[in-house]
Amino acid sequence: MAGQPFTRRRVILLLALTSVLLVTLDLRGSGAVNGVRSAFGVVFRPIESAARVVTNPIESTWNGIVRYDDLEDENRRLRDLIAYNDGAAIAAVASVREAQELLALNGLPTLAGISSCTAQVVGQSPSNFSQTVEINRGSECGIKVGMPVLNAAGLIGKVTGVFNKRAVVRLVTDPGYSLAVKVVNTPPTTTTTTIPGGESAPSTTSTSTTTTVPRTTTTTGIPGFTPGATVATTSTIPVPGATTTVPGDGSPNQPGQATKSPITVPAGVDLPLRETGALEGRGLSRSPFVRFIESQSRFGEVAVGSPIVTAGGATSLAPPGIVVGTVSKVVRRPGTLGPLLEVDLSANLDYLNFVRVLLYRPSTERVDEP
Amino acid sequence: MIDALLRIAENRWFRLVLVGMVLLGVQTTILNDMRPFGVSLQVMVLLAAASGLARGSETGAVAGFVVGLLYDLVLTTPLGLGAAVFAVVGYASGLANTFVHAPTWWTRMLMAAAASALGMFLMPLALEVTGTEGALTGQVFLIALVVAVFNALATPPAHWVCRWALSDRTRVR
Repeated sequence: MAGQPFTRRRVILLLALTSVLLVTLDLRGSGAVNGVRSAFGVVFRPIESAARVVTNPIESTWNGIVRYDDLEDENRRLRDLIAYNDGAAIAAVASVREAQELLALNGLPTLAGISSCTAQVVGQSPSNFSQTVEINRGSECGIKVGMPVLNAAGLIGKVTGVFNKRAVVRLVTDPGYSLAVKVVNTPPTTTTTTIPGGESAPSTTSTSTTTTVPRTTTTTGIPGFTPGATVATTSTIPVPGATTTVPGDGSPNQPGQATKSPITVPAGVDLPLRETGALEGRGLSRSPFVRFIESQSRFGEVAVGSPIVTAGGATSLAPPGIVVGTVSKVVRRPGTLGPLLEVDLSANLDYLNFVRVLLYRPSTERVDEP
Repeated sequence: MIDALLRIAENRWFRLVLVGMVLLGVQTTILNDMRPFGVSLQVMVLLAAASGLARGSETGAVAGFVVGLLYDLVLTTPLGLGAAVFAVVGYASGLANTFVHAPTWWTRMLMAAAASALGMFLMPLALEVTGTEGALTGQVFLIALVVAVFNALATPPAHWVCRWALSDRTRVR
């Protein structure tokens, strides 16, 4: 009887010590722990596949019951969006090519010059406390830990675990995620606004800092273009991530009103300013935020809707210029702390399917091959 | 050779690992996609709690540790963290069961629910302790509630499975 509590205490002590030992080993990046995880993955994968086959009908039934209406709504919305984006996409591709040519001409790095590996999301983390997804490509494709992952909309995360034919991607929203980004802002600016389509609207001058980026870009009428001047256009392209003012209720298809969007062209002296900060995930159901933004008078007030892109740099794991999202809320802080910026991600992390892993290594980690 | 394999298969911890891997398959597939109220149901924590209910606090702690370790191997959280939390869950459920004079199916459901909720609070707490920021939020209450309700409903079969898996070799034969 006296020995029983002692045994119980010993067991509990042993379990606690083992846990602490394992946690310490893992947090210190022990190779043995990674090896055990990989080996378990090999054993567990067939069981998981079998479970997937068996449970698939139940899952489909569940999705049919719970998500049918949502899918129909989404289909309708996506059809509208496709129609809305078709024309803009063609012109955008042309603009991107021009920008890439310009960057190449000046010897600057571009995303087009980076190899990538396309993969499909095959699963997500079963935990409620970490945001990761699993993709079906791994080291056989050249993927390494730390490489940025994006989908058509923008950055979604980075690779944190690589196996032969799969990899684990930590999403931007995970509390453990951090990345250098830059916020594109403009100083207090003077802009000229007009409404195309023959109607001459009165020019307006604004010193408000809420107008931060050009809301639309002209696709025609480039010859004779003068920065800061009004350009008559036949079509407009919304800049991804920018807040676009659309007359009416804001839906993309507005018969008879599509050409009445205001076009704002920044003057040459009002080129966007950039300020770097650190993007950090904040967990489930909370938007990531950017901190370490300095309060500089030249940078001006950060406006809601300002685009956020990766900053790049010699030590950053992501190249510059990947779209992350837009500023959805500015939380001002006292003193010199600078504001906290809540980010509205451009990628929808709830519906990830095909993603692209940029096979990018920062220059400080590259090993020159002989 | 076959005798040796049979002897291994009759070991109750081996049976627990097999059951744990099957349920881990369920956890990472169907329960991962079916998320009522946006919450991933946690059948692994139920297994830990049911082990404690079936075989007492000491066995529950060890079983919870084993089950948690299996879960840790597929998660990106630090290895051993889930094991520690699930060991506490298994121990707590076993301990709570000893205070009930004549345990019935519904008392076991209540205790499994409470132990599961405890695990859902302990997990983000442990994550915060090991340096993960943002895990402990108000969302934890919803997660604990949904997981507790589901696990309470699934307790009878889980209890039966754990009684079988953790029974002695002679009884299996």
